[in-house]
Amino acid sequence: MTQLKQHYFSAILSFLAIATVFSLITGTAWAKAGHNKVICRVETDRAILPAGDSQTVILKITLDAPAAPVNIKRPAVNLSLVLDQSGSMNGTKIKKAKAAAIEALTRLGLQDIFSVVVYDTNVHTIVPAQNARNIQGIINTIQQIRAGGSTALFGGVSQGAAEIRKNLESDFVNRIILLSDGLANVGPRMPSDLGRLGAALIKENISVTTIGVGTDYNEDLMAQLAQKSDGNIYFVESGVDLPRIFAAELGDVLNVVAKKVKVTITLPDNIQAVKIIGREGRIRDNQVELYMNQLYGNQEKYALIEVNIPESKSWSKPGTKIKIAHADVIYDNPFTNTREQSTGISYASFSKDSKKVAKSANIDVVREYQLNLNALAKEKAIKLSDKGNKKEAVKELKQSAAKLKKIGTLYEDKEMLEQAGEIEIQADRIESQGMSKKSRKLLRTESYQMKNQQMIKK
Amino acid sequence: MKSRRSIIVFWALFLMPTLIIAGLALKLLSHEQERINQSAIKALSQRAETVSQTIHITIEDVLENLKQSLLAIEQDTLETTLLIWEETNPLVRNIFLYNNQTLKYPARGMESTLEERRFIARYEPLFSGRVKFDFNTASIKELQKLKGIGAVYPKTARYDSIPEKQTKSSRQKLVALSKVVQKAPDLKQESSGLNKLKQNSTNKSGWIPWFSENRLHILGWVKKIEKGPIYGIELELMTLLSRLVLDFPEISDPGAALVLMDGNSNVIHQTGTMDVTPDKKPVKLIHVSNLLPHWYIGVFIDDKGFGTIKGFLYISILLLAIFIVAIISGGILLTRLTLTNMKDARQKTSFVSSVSHELKTPLTSIRMYAELLLSKRVKNEEKIQTYLSTIVNESSRLTRLINNILDFGKLEQGNKKYHLENFELDGFLEQIIKTHSIRIENQGLEIKTLIKKRNYKIKTDKDALEQVILNLLDNALKYAGQGRFIKFVLKKENSSIILKICDDGPGIPKEQQSKIFEKFHRIDNSLTSQQPGSGLGLSIAQQIIKDLGGKLYFKPVSPNGSCFIIRINNYDPS
Repeated sequence: MTQLKQHYFSAILSFLAIATVFSLITGTAWAKAGHNKVICRVETDRAILPAGDSQTVILKITLDAPAAPVNIKRPAVNLSLVLDQSGSMNGTKIKKAKAAAIEALTRLGLQDIFSVVVYDTNVHTIVPAQNARNIQGIINTIQQIRAGGSTALFGGVSQGAAEIRKNLESDFVNRIILLSDGLANVGPRMPSDLGRLGAALIKENISVTTIGVGTDYNEDLMAQLAQKSDGNIYFVESGVDLPRIFAAELGDVLNVVAKKVKVTITLPDNIQAVKIIGREGRIRDNQVELYMNQLYGNQEKYALIEVNIPESKSWSKPGTKIKIAHADVIYDNPFTNTREQSTGISYASFSKDSKKVAKSANIDVVREYQLNLNALAKEKAIKLSDKGNKKEAVKELKQSAAKLKKIGTLYEDKEMLEQAGEIEIQADRIESQGMSKKSRKLLRTESYQMKNQQMIKK
Repeated sequence: MKSRRSIIVFWALFLMPTLIIAGLALKLLSHEQERINQSAIKALSQRAETVSQTIHITIEDVLENLKQSLLAIEQDTLETTLLIWEETNPLVRNIFLYNNQTLKYPARGMESTLEERRFIARYEPLFSGRVKFDFNTASIKELQKLKGIGAVYPKTARYDSIPEKQTKSSRQKLVALSKVVQKAPDLKQESSGLNKLKQNSTNKSGWIPWFSENRLHILGWVKKIEKGPIYGIELELMTLLSRLVLDFPEISDPGAALVLMDGNSNVIHQTGTMDVTPDKKPVKLIHVSNLLPHWYIGVFIDDKGFGTIKGFLYISILLLAIFIVAIISGGILLTRLTLTNMKDARQKTSFVSSVSHELKTPLTSIRMYAELLLSKRVKNEEKIQTYLSTIVNESSRLTRLINNILDFGKLEQGNKKYHLENFELDGFLEQIIKTHSIRIENQGLEIKTLIKKRNYKIKTDKDALEQVILNLLDNALKYAGQGRFIKFVLKKENSSIILKICDDGPGIPKEQQSKIFEKFHRIDNSLTSQQPGSGLGLSIAQQIIKDLGGKLYFKPVSPNGSCFIIRINNYDPS
């Protein structure tokens, strides 16, 4: 328990530290060098592939976002806070939520738009969308929030979206931050329903970041809503961390350097894409299409694709070096308001020497691949435990841990071994105590963050 | 006595109609409450009706616009246009293109996203050709005819009448979203080409409310050309709902709520803060639209009624209660006053008659003996002595009586003045006993004294105290004449001096014991009726002792007899 907490705290702390470092970096080398394009890299799990064999290769398409340029004004933010003020929020939670809302407000500039929607059984817009100018007035309004009633989460998000929509025509980074601690009991409440709402909002360029407080909220619902709208997801056990999370989240919003990112990966005719790991996308003949809503400054986001190279004597001859994938990235640059493009190409050589092949392994790709598989294992474990199959869930987690451990030991990779250790602890706890609300939330949140790489990487 | 009963009867007669009127008023009030409740329900229902109509009209507008937009798509750019819709329009969840009994888009297999694969699975009966796309066209049209939708609703029924800025725009924004085709500029330019197509166009279209896994989905399809492709969209229901719920009017009353419910009675949206639990039944259900089958707007009202209306009943009942209490308490007060007045009048009359009698008896004796002595016919010295002493005794009795009456007047007005002096109580008491011993012995009573040797020095009004002792002594002589003795006890108890005057006469009945100290009160029985008295003695005695800082009370002696006890507190003159 304490280990997990520590892990969680250290994640938040590193968050803050990095956010501060960012602002420093922004002003220095990167911006001056004019290095402000998204870089696309395509890598394979091994640089040298065994010649002639039918084989599965992992492609990692990495997008390196540049730092936000310091000489150009950052895009204005259109932020709507949607706060749960149902009865269960009473006490520390609502207090901290208010503090967090005020924290968010003070981080905004004069060009930004701010609104606050609260919901219990009904939905109320207490701060209609407005410039973040009259700060004191808004703070007074926020201070008056009182908890009580049911949880009309759907209505709250809808109203938040309506506030965002008032300024949709202008070029804002649109973001709803939803905070809830309970189960939605008024309005649509199926995770898939909220997922659809998220999917619809992203079409209007509105992202929803969800923050779950305590152990009683529906993490599936919150995860779906965030995922489909390409927002972030957080889990805080008490209200204490809320202001810090808001600070970190707004660091993200204020640092968007690319929007509407579309990645198209083109493969040679005889290479077949098998599946996309962790992300939604389509596989069209020899093309793979992926979408991401936005990239934050200095963020690295990636996609993993399993491709299959068929057995061929003529094509994958030893010693040849061929183009294995070609990735095109198209995105909106919010600073220049232009559509920009970036390309990445990956080559691979073939060899009969199995030692050479083994030696050419790209630990970075292998690690991310394994960690993503691990994230999928966590989701599977949740599903199994939901069906009452605790034993299978524990087995799934333990298998994943064993695999991570094995590969981690092979490549002497700390991160994989660490993760393997954590999963083992979680599996043990679930075995002895059953799937607690907190374990489930941790698994769901971690898996989401892994799959979407929404946390800014170290 | 008769008049007392008649007063109570009169009061009861007066009370009866009051209670009847109060009962009637209550009944009327509850009727009024019911009426107000009904009208409130009616008003709420009308609001719900308006909301439901607006939802229906909005959905109709949205679907009509989408249909027109679908029809306006150029056949050559069908797939690309639809894909742009899917990517950019929040109202479009999925698109499809179906031709020659096969699904062209989305393709089955990995080429589709997970969502698209689920979409195909959902509508498999349509896409596999098992169910025709126009299977429900007839029934929908019929329903629309039945409901007379579109034509009947007056314009004021729409939200235009509600003066809220956002309401208007959120509906308009939603409808604007559905006019997709206006956003595609290249289509306008080629509008002339449409004429060519008109010749073989069928413009068939329809909307299918589709239930899959007990959840509602809405699919729209269009077949523009005979033998051409069928294409369309799946509506993003969540977008529709998310926009529609913004239009609900606010209800501030805590005892009411409008609730939009889907086919499974799940709450989709609620306005009004009332706590709607699953066990609560709506007072009215309003069908929303046949495009959302089995969806209702429920009108909920708290069992206890509305907040504002509840107040009406409470205040009315409170007023009524005050009114009744005022009448009843007024009646009781008046009756009591009347009864007390009557009693006072009776007591005064009896007082006057008894005082006259008291005055007359000694006067008669004095006059009779004085006349006898004056006639000088009585020669016997002894007899003369007896007559004279009787005259003296009777006149002193007269003096005591007059003193009592005078004192009573002074005590009533609070004018009685006391002259405090120091003296020994034991000596004083012995002297009084000695003075009156003849009187007592003449009555045939033995005098018992129990005076403990102590220092009984006190400071008080000697005359007043004597008057009290004589009043008590007179009482004992009057009423305990058949007894054997009168006992005087003097002792010290803690810091007080106790003086008891007891007898073994018939005693005082229990129910009268509390009343003997009331002024004019005389025990009404055979014993007292034979004895003259003013009914003032004990009342005066108690008042005097109280004024002197002591206490006079009665204590019955068993098996018979009575004891009057004087407790003097401030006996020590130092």
